[in-house]
Amino acid sequence: MDNTFAPSQKPRLNWVLLAALSGLMAFGLAFVLSATRVNELFAEAAWYQQPFSKMIAFYTIGIGLAAVVCLKDYHQLARYAFIGYWSCITMLVFVLVPGIGATRYGARRWFDMGVFQFQPSELAKIAFLLAMAQFLSRPRNELNNPDTLLKAIGLTALPFGLILFEPDLGSSLMLLPPALVMLYMAGAPAGFLKKLVGGVACFITASLLYVFFAPQAWKPIQLPDYQKRRLMVYFGVDYQTQYAKPNATPAELRRVSAMQRRDSYNVAQAMISVGSGGLSGKGWAQGIQNAHGYLPRGVSHNDFIFSVIAEESGFIGSALVVILYTTVFISGIRVAGQARDRLGRLLAVGVVVMLFSHVFVNIGMNIRLVPVTGVPLPLLSYGGTSIVCSLLALGLLQNIQLHQRSI
Amino acid sequence: MVILEQIRRKDYRLGSVAVFLLLGMGVLLAGLWYVQIISSRQYEESQRNQSIRTIRIPAVRGKIMDRHGSVIAEDRPTYSLSAYLEELRPHFRSAWRENRPNRKLSHNESLNLQIAVRHQVVSNFVARIGLDAPMEVSPEDVERHFSELRALPLPVMSNLDPSSVARFMEKSNQIPGFDIEVCPTRHYPEISVAHLVGHLRKDVSVKEETATYNYRLPDFRGVIGLEQTYDEKMRGQPGTRTMLVNHLGYRQSESLIVPSQPGSHVYLTLDLEIQKVAYTALSNSGHEAGAAVVLDVNNGDVIALTSYPTFDPNEFIPSISSKKWTEYRNSKPSPLLFRATQERYPPGSIFKIISGLAVLESGVVKTNDFMYSPGQYRLGHRNIGDTAPAGDYDFRKAFKHSSNTYFIHHGLVCGIENIIQMGNQFFLGQRSGLLPRQEVAGQFPTPKEVKHNWHDGDTANIAIGQGRITVTPLQMGLMTAAIANGGRVFRPRLVARIEPADPDAFTEAMTFPQGKIRGQLRVNPLNLEALQHAMWADVHEADGTGHRSKIEDYAVCGKTGTAEVRTGGRRDKITWFASYAPYERPRYAVVVMLESGISGGLTAPIAKTIFEALRDRDIELSRRPNGALANN
Repeated sequence: MDNTFAPSQKPRLNWVLLAALSGLMAFGLAFVLSATRVNELFAEAAWYQQPFSKMIAFYTIGIGLAAVVCLKDYHQLARYAFIGYWSCITMLVFVLVPGIGATRYGARRWFDMGVFQFQPSELAKIAFLLAMAQFLSRPRNELNNPDTLLKAIGLTALPFGLILFEPDLGSSLMLLPPALVMLYMAGAPAGFLKKLVGGVACFITASLLYVFFAPQAWKPIQLPDYQKRRLMVYFGVDYQTQYAKPNATPAELRRVSAMQRRDSYNVAQAMISVGSGGLSGKGWAQGIQNAHGYLPRGVSHNDFIFSVIAEESGFIGSALVVILYTTVFISGIRVAGQARDRLGRLLAVGVVVMLFSHVFVNIGMNIRLVPVTGVPLPLLSYGGTSIVCSLLALGLLQNIQLHQRSI
Repeated sequence: MVILEQIRRKDYRLGSVAVFLLLGMGVLLAGLWYVQIISSRQYEESQRNQSIRTIRIPAVRGKIMDRHGSVIAEDRPTYSLSAYLEELRPHFRSAWRENRPNRKLSHNESLNLQIAVRHQVVSNFVARIGLDAPMEVSPEDVERHFSELRALPLPVMSNLDPSSVARFMEKSNQIPGFDIEVCPTRHYPEISVAHLVGHLRKDVSVKEETATYNYRLPDFRGVIGLEQTYDEKMRGQPGTRTMLVNHLGYRQSESLIVPSQPGSHVYLTLDLEIQKVAYTALSNSGHEAGAAVVLDVNNGDVIALTSYPTFDPNEFIPSISSKKWTEYRNSKPSPLLFRATQERYPPGSIFKIISGLAVLESGVVKTNDFMYSPGQYRLGHRNIGDTAPAGDYDFRKAFKHSSNTYFIHHGLVCGIENIIQMGNQFFLGQRSGLLPRQEVAGQFPTPKEVKHNWHDGDTANIAIGQGRITVTPLQMGLMTAAIANGGRVFRPRLVARIEPADPDAFTEAMTFPQGKIRGQLRVNPLNLEALQHAMWADVHEADGTGHRSKIEDYAVCGKTGTAEVRTGGRRDKITWFASYAPYERPRYAVVVMLESGISGGLTAPIAKTIFEALRDRDIELSRRPNGALANN
């Protein structure tokens, strides 16, 4: 759209955005330290192997890369969008190859780089945003062409499928909201969007029905069992309806309910962490849930970092985190509104929606608003690729603002 | 404002995206508000519940003391070395890393290795402390403790002596994860009271208690004797400790929320010194088994009540080994049997006290009537032997020589009914109620029984304390006391009072009244006097059967008895001595019974020893300035 009403100003750094990001990073450092200082796994590690030190390194690398990204106009970067996209697709294919991709927790998602584990799906998210923005930034009337729309869908479906195949349902689903919103922002016909949203909704409903209610014999494709169980935990489905045979012995029934307790354990403990934090929390490093290990040690500084924050800093702290994220998103929307062209606008919205989806799903799973999926909390969760890629995406956002005037 | 901005620019699509995002964040905020503010209490409670363990701590058990406050049973502090597993965890882990083989282990192999590693770590540390005793726990014990009681300290060595405690204290700051625990342990300084006091056993039953506990520290329950009868009183109220644990069940911190209330003390009428003397006299007599009863004739208080052989109640703490238990159960004569009240014995000639009284009361003979005895008694075709030689006998001489002929003859003349009536006045065949689970009633014919199928031979047997009559030494003690005190049959008393350990406690002291009279003999005082004099003569005259119990300045009165029993084809003798003293102002009744004794004469010296001790004790107590403290 036009920028006629945009206030004329010199391209400058978005200080509000940077301040909010600094706040989030401070939270991240403080609570990753709190979450890992009681973890005996790290107690014996050297200082440079401590998550806290690594976290600083990730932030530094991320900020450095973001600064590098800002040096070039995003138009120049967008020229390489498809090179980046296809490189990422290649990596996503390679990570599936046994021997190249490293397996952890039963999923093949990582390249083992020695010093750290590189997760190509994180980078693919950025590459996807760039490529999608580049693709959709074509003149608006071209979007009435079904071929273009189908291509856009294909552009989304390819990484979606590959990431889903790792399997990493959570990460793959993260591609859908930005894709939909970018199509919407790009001006795709309302009828098409309705069909698309309807289609996705139908697909999800059908999958859930399939997972829970279809007889075993009708299931040529099996969802990984742990995903199915996560969904059952979320929807509160009694395991006995799914796992116990009709003529099960009491011992079998006990085993099944023990399995249910085990599976709902993480969510239940995360809820207890968040809830027991109360208004002002127990104080930094005073969280009982984490210190006593009720929150699994492997995830407390990772996907469940928010429950540590919530327990130790209470509603005040968790609301502050939500407000900081909201500030980031609003700044991002502003950047989109002030972007000088469709590419910048779409890219900015894509970045914001992508981050929003992560934040919503991650915090949501801590309070049982959404099912448990392995989605990191951007900038706060301990995870190298995720932190660096989030900062890279935010660098793109800053880039769009920096270069909103120059042509 | 970001929305307004977009609306101002007519950028509705961006505006709606902004609305969508803000709504999403709003939902999160509302959700957090709901969980952290509205339902906060519920989650706090869940957190507390999952990390708190309650432990039941048994109270210190009340003491049992004799009439002068000497301890018969008490809880003493014992020191044990305990390992705190939560502090040893890092060591478990490093030992595990060192011991783990490179190959992949199966689940079971891994579990077994972990158990072995934990045991090894604990025993290495114990070795480093350098105590002489070996560690008492096996890998299985460590494992059981680890899986069930992880939050509690694991006792690795119990009953440490003071030098071991001191040695540990010197090194304790160098050795992590160990500490000395003090725990009360029941202790019985004297085994002569074992049967009376009874013993304890580990209590594993979960009684109806208001609180449910995650862990219960070992508690004991009295299974027999006073420990059983007054178990409730002596046990006190258990306390509760709570412990914060982590998800692995290790202890994080603990607090005492309800301290335990110590149990009440039980004060007995017993005099431990006399008890010891009586027991020693029995065990030194050279006989296999026996019992002694010492009563205060003026109120029925039990001064001593002992049985030989006995057991050691300390062996039941913390638990008796099955070897020892089998030994106790199989040895003959049984050390578990309380012969003073728990076994039936034919009274033999000491029953002549009752049959003699019955004969005199019936009026068939006067005390100074003489009768000729041929030295044996012929009843039908049966000859009943007599240790008393042929000659003329009056009551006193017959009693002194224990003439069977005299008592059978007059017993038959006066009739069995009169003897039964007299025996009933002494409550023969009835329990005294002194020890609820350890007392037998004995046998004594009822008036109904003697109506059918009763022959003169049966009456003749009863008259000399044989045949269908059995008694306990306690019953004979009560009988002797009644003769001594002029006819009052007392209900015996063993427990004088029960007092709370803490004088400020709300529980009130219980006092058991002294000198409860069970029955008054309906006899002519002159006859009683004649009997008393005959008993005096039995001891003091050189030809009396009880002469060997004579003490120069202490007038003992007594009657010996010997009864024949057949046990499994073997003929055996039960010998008795029923006595009281002093003659002028009777104070104590002493009854001594020996199994497999040769003659009643052997029991008399034992009684003599006891009387001497009683006499000396009285002199000693009267010299003490606070001798009046002797309760009652």
